[in-house]
Amino acid sequence: MNKKNNKDDQLTEWKKKFEAETKTSRADNFIINTDEDIGIKPLYIEEDIKDLNFVDVGSLPGHDPYTRGPKASMYVNRPWTIRQYAGFSTAEESNNFYRKNLEAGQKGLSVAFDLPTHRGYDSDDEIVMGDVGKAGVAIDSVEDMKILFDGIPLDQMSVSMTMNGAVLPILASFIVAGEEQGVAVKDLSGTIQNDILKEFMVRNTYIYPPDPSMRIVADIIEYTSREMPKFNSISISGYHMQEAGADNVLELAYTLADGIEYVRAALSKGLDIDDFAPRLSFFFAIGTDFFMEIAKLRAARTLWYKIMKDFGAKNEKSLTLRTHCQTSGVSLTEKDPYNNIVRTSYEALSAVLGGTQSLHTNSFDEAIALPTEFSARIARNTQLILQNETGVSNTVDPLAGSYFIEKITDEVASKAWEIIQEVEELGGMTKAVNAGIPKLKIEESATKKQAKIDSGDRVVVGVNKFQNPKEPKIDVLVIDNEKVREDQIKKINLLKGSRDNKKLEKSLNELTEDAKNGNNLLYSAVKAIKNRATIGEVSKALENVFGRHYATSVGVSGVYGKYFEGNEEFMHVTKKIQDFEKLYGRRPRVLVVKMGQDGHDRGAKIVATSFADIGFDIDMGPLFQSPKDVAKDAVENDVHAIGVSTLAAGHKTLVPELMSSLKELDPENKIIVFVGGIIPEQDYDFLYEKNISAIFGPGSNIIESAEKVIDLISDKNNQ
Amino acid sequence: MELVKKVLNNDRASIAKAITLVESSNPKDKDESKELISSLINHPGHSIRVGFSGPPGVGKSTFIESFGTYLVNKNYKLAILAIDPSSNLTGGSILGDKTRMSEISKSQNTFIRSTPSKGSLGGVSYGTREASIILDAAGYDFIFIETVGVGQSETMAANLVDIFTLIVGPGSGDELQGIKKGITEYADIFIVNKNDGDLKLQASKTASDYKSALSFYSKQDNQAAKEVLLVSSIEQQGMDSVIDTINEIIKFNKLNKIFDARRENQLSYWIKEEIRNQIQSKLDLEVGNDTELLDMTKAVIKGEINIYDVSDHFLDKFLK
Ligand code: B12
Ligand SMILES: Nc1nc2c(ncn2[C@@H]2O[C@H](COP(=O)(O)OP(=O)(O)OP(=O)(O)O)[C@@H](O)[C@H]2O)c(=O)[nH]1
Ligand SMILES: [Mg+2]
Repeated sequence: MNKKNNKDDQLTEWKKKFEAETKTSRADNFIINTDEDIGIKPLYIEEDIKDLNFVDVGSLPGHDPYTRGPKASMYVNRPWTIRQYAGFSTAEESNNFYRKNLEAGQKGLSVAFDLPTHRGYDSDDEIVMGDVGKAGVAIDSVEDMKILFDGIPLDQMSVSMTMNGAVLPILASFIVAGEEQGVAVKDLSGTIQNDILKEFMVRNTYIYPPDPSMRIVADIIEYTSREMPKFNSISISGYHMQEAGADNVLELAYTLADGIEYVRAALSKGLDIDDFAPRLSFFFAIGTDFFMEIAKLRAARTLWYKIMKDFGAKNEKSLTLRTHCQTSGVSLTEKDPYNNIVRTSYEALSAVLGGTQSLHTNSFDEAIALPTEFSARIARNTQLILQNETGVSNTVDPLAGSYFIEKITDEVASKAWEIIQEVEELGGMTKAVNAGIPKLKIEESATKKQAKIDSGDRVVVGVNKFQNPKEPKIDVLVIDNEKVREDQIKKINLLKGSRDNKKLEKSLNELTEDAKNGNNLLYSAVKAIKNRATIGEVSKALENVFGRHYATSVGVSGVYGKYFEGNEEFMHVTKKIQDFEKLYGRRPRVLVVKMGQDGHDRGAKIVATSFADIGFDIDMGPLFQSPKDVAKDAVENDVHAIGVSTLAAGHKTLVPELMSSLKELDPENKIIVFVGGIIPEQDYDFLYEKNISAIFGPGSNIIESAEKVIDLISDKNNQ
Repeated sequence: MELVKKVLNNDRASIAKAITLVESSNPKDKDESKELISSLINHPGHSIRVGFSGPPGVGKSTFIESFGTYLVNKNYKLAILAIDPSSNLTGGSILGDKTRMSEISKSQNTFIRSTPSKGSLGGVSYGTREASIILDAAGYDFIFIETVGVGQSETMAANLVDIFTLIVGPGSGDELQGIKKGITEYADIFIVNKNDGDLKLQASKTASDYKSALSFYSKQDNQAAKEVLLVSSIEQQGMDSVIDTINEIIKFNKLNKIFDARRENQLSYWIKEEIRNQIQSKLDLEVGNDTELLDMTKAVIKGEINIYDVSDHFLDKFLK
């Protein structure tokens, strides 16, 4: 009997056995669809990896198409870099935190800035009152930057900075801080995120409109290619897309499409592809779908090779995709938080099996607050254990040759490629982003995920199944933002009192001129920062020319409702709403808002569109509203309730301000206010004392929340 | 009425509650609503009511944000009624117009109210007319009414305002159809939006298409010339021309007594509509659930009786 026949017989036999064991009639129908709409079969065989579209099974690491890794030796030579993202409060405090972590085995630094810094406001700006130092470290000038890296030699430490909106003044401050530490610009190493397209899609810390923003990206690529050979000019990020709700195919496709757009922007500056492409880096999220994440990283390298080849790149470094990864924050839960350590471990393993170059692992208190020293240590140790105790680094790309992995790598690549072609047809990613298409696709995907969890179709341990009846109490990091703000204002005033205003003004004018005439802006930003301009002043000088960008999208309605068509609980709440409408002559009306600089809009949009599907009239406020604006909006539209979605820890400042503004505008108002998002339990009483009617934390079931809200509104109007 | 006094005092919360009252679909609110409107109508302000209509996504809200900011900076007081068409299967809606009006909504001199149109063709909603009476009495200089233009709703919107404006986008040939179908009768101004960036060329072309289409339309005596204007809401360009045109048309119409004549017409139209509505609801109440109707319908099916005899029978009964 020949081999082939033998295999066919085996397969027939396997099917029979499978059908008997599972008591189904056809093994072929036993398909599980992933979020990416990829059908996972119960068994993969040799047949599956014949004639693949993109993957060349049997190719080697360090060889095209680089599916198995950018380097030949990978972790065998040097393990991935443990790079934890951190930053909070003042530069002094963050510096202290960094130094402790470096002593404890962390290898690279990764700076998290606070939201005012991201959006180009100084800490003394009224508009950012609630946000200073809360969700990252406050940096107002080069003086803060110098403190941040005090005692950390910038010629030896590679520093990653997540900065996009205020990228010019921040990178300039980093350069000047280096210089004043005695380090030449050319010796600085690290990465600046500098990926503005995904800000418009999902991250929301843009400042200027898309066109001037793209120019800034190109200016930075140009500057670094000339002056900073060891510095990654951009970190093209899919991470935030997955965190905002994208499935793996969407994440991969839009990230690579962004990459294509940045390459074009740099080429349009007259640069040669191999001058800058070796310094393009990537950033992906690693969620809980273990194998799919591995497939995504392998597919990413495979496709990028093809893309760069088509651009005519020759240098091997241009052809290989190098990436940082972060485990998924959104997969982590507020409920039974120690479970998160386990989730993060699996995700970390997945990232490593996918061949990441560096990795951040999240802390178990992710859905509660910024990490404490304790939770940060466990997160770091997750990687140290993986590196030192498990042997995962001993061989390169251990999963290669697995029928399953090779096949889904190819499927992910093929599906992503299709979307990339669609974007190309639209005229590239800037155009697609302007038209709002990627954002809507991601929001749709996010809403579906929520529906799957709320319906119980997707199990989240400790949230919709296997709940812990005795939730543990955990310590959380508390930041006194008033104190941080005071300290920052003192430092700003000191700076402003001691600088040479003539020189300063001259350099700011130069910056404004360069914005108009097209000169590379980073050179003039460095000059202004040297002359002690603040981050806010540099941003403003550019804003005067470019204007500020305002986003307008409101989300996709109908997705949640469709998932629950005919569902009893859903209809039960809908019925309550219809009864209310009969009684009061209009539907219950809820204003859903985001206040301050918090740009986390995933939750707000999902809740708003789902509530509308259930039957509420929902007023959707724009991002970045002040409590005063919200109160005016609420009163003029005579809403029954305001739902505040707050994730960036501004709630203790912003919510009380909203309550007093409401009182001021309408002393007899009957508007009930509830709060959703990241609220540590320690703050519940504080909020209840301010007359907040309900708090909906992470993992809240939307239908249950909707019922509570309609009940509260009915009670209030019955009085 | 306490509410009347407060509205006349421009009390924000009371204006809002008054609008809720007139928009209420609960019959129990009807009397109070009538009382409110009858008193406020005797305290007319000086508002100029401008309607902005146009297809979805042409930038109506963005234009209002841009033009409105321009007016507020000139110290005008501005009220905006945005009729939001987005409505859902289950009946709820997402009112997102205000995400495009974030700057103007900050001003103390504005009042911005969105109303879900409850599927009434995306056009004017129940209570819009009453709401503009409230806002007029409250002392606003301008009242802007944003409606999505589909089918007949323009006629209805045009019937609520002193100036009716159609906003279109660059290269939207579809609306040119509308020109021939008589929308020009209602529109006083045509605004071609998005005259910026890559779209500039298309926008000018669209504007000249409109101009030539309008030239076929014979201007009657005693009528202000219809204008086609090019603007960019995003770049706040062309706003001078909009306010100048509005002022000119108002001036012309007042001079030629058209302004008041229009308002009178609208009032009679309203009265007729009110009668129609009342008959309609009484009719529904009396005839709608009638078992006699069911029986007679069956008889019609069986061929025992003619359908017109049935309708005459009910009409007689109703009129008695
Ligand atoms: C997704 C995410 C992001 C995405 C946001 C994408 C987007 N467009 O929303 C990305 C990756 C871009 C991001 C970025 C940042 N993030 Co983030 N992010 C998260 C994460 C992981 C999940 C949030 C989420 O979307 N969950 C899913 C949604 C559906 O849930 P939800 O919003 O909680 O909503 C549910 C309930 O809370 C409730 N609810 C919420 N709102 C409302 C409103 C109403 C009316 C009702 C009824 C109910 C309700 O119902 C919803 C359904 O269950 C959280 C941690 C976590 N696990 O929660 C961190 C987290 C919020 N991020 C954090 C930080 C610091 C940031 C950054 C500021 C980091 C930095 N320094 O650069 C940036 C900047 C973002 C910005 N512009 O503001 C911190 C905030 C720290 C704090 N509060 O003390 C958190 C808590 C992580 C952490 N522990 O460090 N982030
Ligand atoms: N280029 C350009 N885009 C504009 C301009 N005005 C509006 N837009 C864009 O057009 C889109 C729709 O704008 P909206 O103001 O919401 O349009 P609308 O007519 O009010 O839409 P609906 O209320 O949904 O019918 C948004 O993406 C705006 O940014 C403009 O002057 N130029
Ligand atoms: Mg609109």
